[in-house]
Amino acid sequence: MASAKTNTEDYLRMYRQMVRIRTFEDNANQLYLSAKMPGLTHMYSGEEAVAVGICEALTDDDRITSTHRGHGHCVAKGADFKKMFCELLGKAEGYCRGKGGSMHIADQSHGNLGANAIVGGSMGIATGSALRAKLQGSDDVTVCFFGDGATAQGLMYEVMNMAALWKLPVIYACENNGYSEYTRTEEIAAGSITARAEAFGIEAFRIDGQDVLAVNELAQKLVARCRKGEGPFFVELETYRYHGHHVGDINREYYRSKAEEKDWRENRDPIVRFRTWLVDQGVASEDEIEAINAEIEKDAADAVAYAEAASYPDTSEVDMHVYAA
Amino acid sequence: MPHDVTMPQLGMAQDAGKIVSWLKKPGDAVSKGDALFEVETDKATMEVEAQADGFLTGVRAEAGEDVPVGQIIARITDSADEPADEPEPKSDATPGASATAALPKGREVTMPQLGMAQDSGLLVNWQKAPGDQVAEDDVLFEVETDKSTMEVPAGAAGYLAATLAEAGETVPVGSAVAIISADRPENPVSRSFQNGPDETPKVTAPKKAEAEKSSQPVTSNARSSAQPRQGGRILASPKARRLAAERGLDLARLVDAGHPQPYHAADLDRLASLPSPAASGPAVAAQRLTAELDEEGLTEFVSWARNPQGLADPDAILAGLAGACLPVSGTKVVAIQRLGVQRSYSVPAGPDLSQVVRSDDRPALLLRDLRDSRLRHVEMGAAEIPVLTMMAAGRGLSITLECSSAQLEAGDAINLLTEFAGRLEQPLRHLL
Amino acid sequence: MREITLSQAVNEALAEEMRRDPTTFIIGEDVAEAGTPFKVLSGLVEEFGTDRVIDTPIAEPGFMGIAVGAAMTGARPIVDLMFGDFIFLIMDQLCNQAAKTHYMSGGKLNVPLVLRTNLGATRRSAAQHSQSLQALVAHIPGLKVAMPSSAYEAKGLMKTAIRDNNPVVIFEDKLMYQDKAPVPEQEYLIPFGQANIKREGRDITLIATSSMVQVAEKAAEILANEGIEAEVIDPRTIVPLDEQTLLESVRKTSRAIVIDEGHQSYGVTAEIASRLNEKAFYHLDAPVLRMGAMDVPVPFSPALEDLTVPTPEDVAANARKLCAGEMIHAA
Repeated sequence: MASAKTNTEDYLRMYRQMVRIRTFEDNANQLYLSAKMPGLTHMYSGEEAVAVGICEALTDDDRITSTHRGHGHCVAKGADFKKMFCELLGKAEGYCRGKGGSMHIADQSHGNLGANAIVGGSMGIATGSALRAKLQGSDDVTVCFFGDGATAQGLMYEVMNMAALWKLPVIYACENNGYSEYTRTEEIAAGSITARAEAFGIEAFRIDGQDVLAVNELAQKLVARCRKGEGPFFVELETYRYHGHHVGDINREYYRSKAEEKDWRENRDPIVRFRTWLVDQGVASEDEIEAINAEIEKDAADAVAYAEAASYPDTSEVDMHVYAA
Repeated sequence: MPHDVTMPQLGMAQDAGKIVSWLKKPGDAVSKGDALFEVETDKATMEVEAQADGFLTGVRAEAGEDVPVGQIIARITDSADEPADEPEPKSDATPGASATAALPKGREVTMPQLGMAQDSGLLVNWQKAPGDQVAEDDVLFEVETDKSTMEVPAGAAGYLAATLAEAGETVPVGSAVAIISADRPENPVSRSFQNGPDETPKVTAPKKAEAEKSSQPVTSNARSSAQPRQGGRILASPKARRLAAERGLDLARLVDAGHPQPYHAADLDRLASLPSPAASGPAVAAQRLTAELDEEGLTEFVSWARNPQGLADPDAILAGLAGACLPVSGTKVVAIQRLGVQRSYSVPAGPDLSQVVRSDDRPALLLRDLRDSRLRHVEMGAAEIPVLTMMAAGRGLSITLECSSAQLEAGDAINLLTEFAGRLEQPLRHLL
Repeated sequence: MREITLSQAVNEALAEEMRRDPTTFIIGEDVAEAGTPFKVLSGLVEEFGTDRVIDTPIAEPGFMGIAVGAAMTGARPIVDLMFGDFIFLIMDQLCNQAAKTHYMSGGKLNVPLVLRTNLGATRRSAAQHSQSLQALVAHIPGLKVAMPSSAYEAKGLMKTAIRDNNPVVIFEDKLMYQDKAPVPEQEYLIPFGQANIKREGRDITLIATSSMVQVAEKAAEILANEGIEAEVIDPRTIVPLDEQTLLESVRKTSRAIVIDEGHQSYGVTAEIASRLNEKAFYHLDAPVLRMGAMDVPVPFSPALEDLTVPTPEDVAANARKLCAGEMIHAA
């Protein structure tokens, strides 16, 4: 494993953030299955090292745009469990006062410009945020998260072209989890994904998205180069989603095998890998790790209970926030 | 802390899942991640895992049972013998549960959920009849959603013991539409989804549509003067109507004066300048005629009609007797008003009073029955349609006809009242 | 008062606001040195430089999306969409992203951007460069829609749009760029949601937008010669809509024709007519008429194209019928 950060505190925070994402998703999954959560939701479990590795290289001033599979980005960018669960349950105390839900959760206090339910819909937004940074001379960087499925959208190529022409501080982070909804990526993506960015003269990287230290090391470098005006960059992160496309996608045999899922879970889990590394390196003991896990589980359980008891928005809010004052 | 095991929600519009089998027994020790039971929804079958370590207790749903999503079906407790406090009674109050009681036992075939936000499907037709033997892959019925039409297989071998929805009905997804039994059913059931719990066979009573078809409005051969305006509606702008109402003016007088429609605000000045209604000419003269009967035969006739004849509605008889006296051929509509309640009947040509049925059409004649009141004299003036008023007069009756000359000419008015009075005196005359 | 063209008025508004607010910038195709095909933006790049007057590739969804992201993070972009017809290309960014962000975020994120584009047929530009698509965007909650009818409105509405904290779409009539009108030298803004009574009358109200305001005014001239006094009202913004002024006029005249250059079916005219029916029903002495562009793709041939747009004569003929108490489609 690469070693980017050298500080015990940083390592443990990365571990903690990954576990927080997994724990958040386990609870969200349960809320959904028990019919307490309305709508539709997409689990990030399995991809934690991508969001954490990248977001740990960012500050609150740096922006991200997120996707329909966005809980992980939101947690990694520093969001609070209670406000997130409230949002998932449509409660007034949610990040978006219950108006956005799982697919539109946004947390501008930490620079999260929001999840987006249109696949590829946020690529313009991320690039625009970077244009604003350049025009206003601020040194923040924007990371655009999107999946392999979104690489089929035309918008991506329009904005990468402009980002390259104008040298914008944006990092396009393609979370390639192998499946575009219910279809293997090989069936929807011709040629090489990174070569598409390279065609615009954008430096592109392909990396193991299950190795949080490797992801973080690369992210640190690219963020620093963006701040110096050397952007944009493109990163394809090889990762895996443990759940289906959405929670209800349970019979997946027709597009991927249980053996494949098992292999990723047992041999390439980003949390298990990093935990083992932390113990081997003497950064933390098994007991300390278990204590962290238990503490996060309790946090999540408390947040779920809080959100379940929280109030729905008043009906008078239905036509509030259509227009800004 | 006990952990509730609930029926999982797997799709957006899914209400319930079926427990296919339990993979753990009550009292078994379970670990987080162990498969607890298999559940089947309209979309798929999946194993449900334990979300906590402990012992499986308080199981309250059996294999084969359909359970609403989110309902607690078991608990995982810290010890095997921990009395699982009943969180809620087992729900058997799901819609249609009472209906299943009388149905044959067997596997329910439900309306499948075919789309993400689909609530119901249209049952296009049945491919099997109740009582038919079916194989697992046999097509049972066709269902149509907004997206597509598909054939739904039986899903199990056996006999089609019940069909619970009729072709053409729209059924919520997840609702049972058929039952497949293992054994040949003795009394296969067929019913509509709408009448679900009602076990009584469908009565093929005379259809309302037919009755309506036969009750044409009176206009066909009636003189047009009886219907001064089409449907009684005057064409006028909203503003003209509002101003007329505010100024107490009747737009009908513009019609009677022969002024062409539609009317606008400007026409109100012309209306205001028309001579007052009282001074209007003979064209709309009011007519009032009264007949007196020393004895009436109606009461006896009504009781005879009820038994042995089986005609239970005395108003229908009255309507039939009165309708026959209108100087119009074909079907007529007569309204009967008593104690403030008004009901209309369509009266076909001919003496058969059993053919007189309720109608929603506009009446051509109103019959006010005031026999139970203390009124002995009415003089109300012409209304929109001719009005007959019946009042008690000793052992007999007094009958008044009021109408305008535009509605009935004098001779027709006299004939109508004479005929009607005669029928009330000797109802059997009607049948001759 | 001095008279300037609509084109100059827009240019002035942009320059004034860009001087006033350093977070504003213009982005679009050929906006810098070319100053757009209509030359509306000529001279701006010389004053503000290419950092604030940004030429893009021909990639409408791309630069629209970029504008949304810039607006969400503290800039005030002015997007130049060369032809109104290209709105179809940017629908996701405009309607799914820009329009909904404030609401979906529970009021926490704003998208203060202006999309300036145009409308109008009879320029012999055929079906893909002649449409008037304001109804499409007016249908989407979260967007505001301004429709200037002269140089005066074009300047005042543009300045208000740039200062608004919401996405605003401004449709300029591309045939009116060279039309002159009195425009004050001193600064002024025209508030949104405030209709302008262009001409007073008591017999019939002609409600007209953008290009159709001139048509309605000419119709009113014709009618005046016949003794019919038409009131002409320009709503100036269709979202928000100054319902009050329209209703007051119709309650007075009891007759109305709504005229807009969008296709007649399911359009702006239908919306306004419907509100008059709902809220002034008992004051109506005639059905409210809609007059829009014919429901056909705009044809190229001048012989055909001129048939598709309402003319002053058409409007006057309909007004005459309504005032005479003829129900135009009476059964």
